[in-house]
Amino acid sequence: MDSQSVQAAGDAVALEVRDLHKGFGGIKAVDGCNLKIPAGQISGLIGPNGSGKTTTFNLLTGVIRPDSGEVYFKGENIAGLKPYQIFRRGITRTFQITRIYREMTVFENMLSVSYLLTPMQDARERAERLMEFVTLSKLRDEYGGNLSYGQQKLLEFARALMTDPELILLDEPAAGVNRTLLADLLDRIHELQAVGKTIVVVEHDMNVIMNHCEKIFVMDYGVNIAEGLPHEIQNNEQVIEAYFGRRKDGAVRAS
Amino acid sequence: MSRRETVNHLMMMVIAFLLLLMLPEYLNVYHRSFVMFTMMYVVLASSWNIISGFTGYVSFGHVLFYGVGSYASAILVADHGWHWLATLPISMMVGLAFAIVIGFPVLRLKGPYFAIATLAASEGTRVLVTVWDDLTHGGLGISLPNVENSMETYYAMLVLMFVTIGTCYWVAHSRFGVRLNAIREDEVAAEGLGINTTLYKMTAFGLSAIFPAMAGAIQANKTLYIDPETEFFVLVTITMKLMAMFGGKGTVIGPIIGAVVLYSIQEYVWVTFPHAHLIAFGVFLILVARFMPRGLVGHAIDQGWWRKGMVH
Repeated sequence: MDSQSVQAAGDAVALEVRDLHKGFGGIKAVDGCNLKIPAGQISGLIGPNGSGKTTTFNLLTGVIRPDSGEVYFKGENIAGLKPYQIFRRGITRTFQITRIYREMTVFENMLSVSYLLTPMQDARERAERLMEFVTLSKLRDEYGGNLSYGQQKLLEFARALMTDPELILLDEPAAGVNRTLLADLLDRIHELQAVGKTIVVVEHDMNVIMNHCEKIFVMDYGVNIAEGLPHEIQNNEQVIEAYFGRRKDGAVRAS
Repeated sequence: MSRRETVNHLMMMVIAFLLLLMLPEYLNVYHRSFVMFTMMYVVLASSWNIISGFTGYVSFGHVLFYGVGSYASAILVADHGWHWLATLPISMMVGLAFAIVIGFPVLRLKGPYFAIATLAASEGTRVLVTVWDDLTHGGLGISLPNVENSMETYYAMLVLMFVTIGTCYWVAHSRFGVRLNAIREDEVAAEGLGINTTLYKMTAFGLSAIFPAMAGAIQANKTLYIDPETEFFVLVTITMKLMAMFGGKGTVIGPIIGAVVLYSIQEYVWVTFPHAHLIAFGVFLILVARFMPRGLVGHAIDQGWWRKGMVH
């Protein structure tokens, strides 16, 4: 694994995962995952279906509790905390299949995330600004359930930013989103990175991963098998094998 | 919600309060008690709405709080000589205690499981009250000292109703209420986005318990006789639920309209068709469920007559 170039770019680690394990019955969904998410960058987490990416996200955000392992965020082990506790420490996420509040207006969706101690006026202003940010201001008083799927993705993304989080986990932001909307979404993601946020993207769309992520982590069978820059990952034998398999003569099949 | 709208709503509430304050002078005892019981059902339907309409946990056992509240008050008045007004805070505390003890395990369940568990809790409490006759006089019920207090109970219910409506109004237009709605819509997302769902659900359950407990206490001192069968009657739960759903659950005005309209219709139908009143009432409810599944207010919103959402 050649990651010297990334090391040189910046050593600060936003989130460190150490030897994380989670099994469901006989299936080891995550089986010794180790990650060092670089601070202030857009990182990609890829891997074939069932390789444990979403489970890893669910472990990081507390939706499920790990069997063992540690997750360090700002010097604190957050593994095993409840989702709302982890959220309050500055980690936010979106879901693979959108989970917007259907019978609440777009504005109420936004407002539900602000902390009660934040003055109402500040919360309102932030909600308005973020709806503007993702071009949903016109739909402010429409029910979330009446939005198109792409708009729901934008709403979920904006909603996740209400508390000004430091680490943003995006689970397949490109899935089901049309190209124009996706370009907008990616612009927004870069804007967030520009103001110092750390972003991790789980994605199957390789255009998104290869063109927009600085560092890429590859998972297979619950373990991270490779990490590096896009061009390094593209030529990594283990990665190619995980995606395409191995030929009978032992050579890796690559196109 | 603009400031002017809030002021308008407040003005409307003050006017309604003053009108209802002056009303009993002009009513006979029958009509006075009719208005009092209408107000009681406004309290019950609005309270049910806090946990079931705003938070999405549909309770089938809410009569439980009404029942324990009425028993707490009746025992203190009949056996310990308290003045009935002094028992109201105790009834409230008893209702809250039951909400905490029952809510903690039961609020972990969802959908039909929560509904069945709350029904079981209310039926279980009814049986407990029936068999614990040292404290509750068992199936014989409790007779309270005979006094004419239709005015006092009317005013007590009036105040309780406005406290309940005021609380619901605050819930609906605050971020606390928006967060309850978030739990209703998607609990996993709500928890993942910073809401301590256990705490919020318990608070909502507690709020939805204290008002019925006090309503039960006032009612006991109005009717002056209570027994387990009437105080823990499942039909009371179903009635408050239907009223809230008919008016539009998850809104402030919905349960109020629902309680006033349904209680009036019920009374009218009962007087007019004494033999067929349940059938007529049933047919009416089926028609409502068929044509306005989201209730009057929900229907108005869907038709575009009313604005979507609570907080603007």
